[in-house]
Amino acid sequence: MSQPPDDLEQRIKAAQHRQKPPVSPADDANAPPSGAAAAMRVATDLVAALVVGGFLGYWLDEWLDTRPWLMIVFLILGFAAGFLNIYRAQTGQDYKVGFTRMKPPNDDNAN
Amino acid sequence: MAANPLEQFVIKPIIPLQLAGYDVSFTQSALWMGLAVIAATLLMTLTMRGKAVIPGRWQNVAEMLYEFVGGIVHENLGHEGRKYFPFVFSIFMIVLMGNLLGMIPYSFTFTSHIIVTGALALFVFLMATLIGFMRHGFHFLTLFVPSGVPIFIVPLIATIEVISYLSRPISLSVRLFANMVAGHTMLKVFAGFSVGLGVVLGVLPLVVNTALIGLELMIAFIQAYVFSILTCLYLKDAIELH
Repeated sequence: MSQPPDDLEQRIKAAQHRQKPPVSPADDANAPPSGAAAAMRVATDLVAALVVGGFLGYWLDEWLDTRPWLMIVFLILGFAAGFLNIYRAQTGQDYKVGFTRMKPPNDDNAN
Repeated sequence: MAANPLEQFVIKPIIPLQLAGYDVSFTQSALWMGLAVIAATLLMTLTMRGKAVIPGRWQNVAEMLYEFVGGIVHENLGHEGRKYFPFVFSIFMIVLMGNLLGMIPYSFTFTSHIIVTGALALFVFLMATLIGFMRHGFHFLTLFVPSGVPIFIVPLIATIEVISYLSRPISLSVRLFANMVAGHTMLKVFAGFSVGLGVVLGVLPLVVNTALIGLELMIAFIQAYVFSILTCLYLKDAIELH
């Protein structure tokens, strides 16, 4: 065990300052991935939303006895949601929900 | 002759068990899940027993893992995310251990089963949704209604947003599952080539396989990272409702 050095206070400050812009590689994850990873990602995002849309429509149809109309509608909505997923993944917004964050940071009067 | 490359994913019961008509056998999948938990616990406790100011090699491993996940949480959730760190760290460790233990020959990769990754993703998803409702009440539902949208297309947009929201656990679990299955199948296929081509030519696929194992180790880590960062992103939506 070493003695706490005199400049400990400053070093803690410096460490806290370094922590402000953290060094974690999270920036990479928000940026659009490249190549095969992006393709894989796009495929799962699109298919996942389609599957959810399809199942939602199917269940609602079973419940309301409206086969096949709601399934058709929800498949189309699922397709839209899938492309929304892809758009967000590609623009580095990941899974953020809602449009509020889509505006550019200097756009003050919107909102 | 060459074994079926998908055979490695077959669940085999170790202790067959029936409970109320359900098959609740203790399988090799359950065994490796248990081992993953034990390995993660031992890694974090035994290595930190010394609590040395200047860490040794093992303590360094534990500290690096801790700081890595701590960085992810801090980056995404800020100071508010501190109390969710144990949750994210547990998710990270179980996925990482599942992926890495699966790289040991003759072991079993439990993350290569959609039911396992699906349960994990669903847990994360329900947790994030629950936290969202607990923090914001029904105000949380405004998450699905973007501001500044004409009122008559709000139902349409909201439905699409809900579908997009519900698709998260699916794409989260499928990504981990697909990566693990693809990687381990590829290893097995190339190993099969080695067996089929004999001693001389069989060296070539062996070289490829060696490189693939390195790649797989990287993927094991990256997928654990992706899983935990997405956990953070979900929690972020739940915590800071905009």
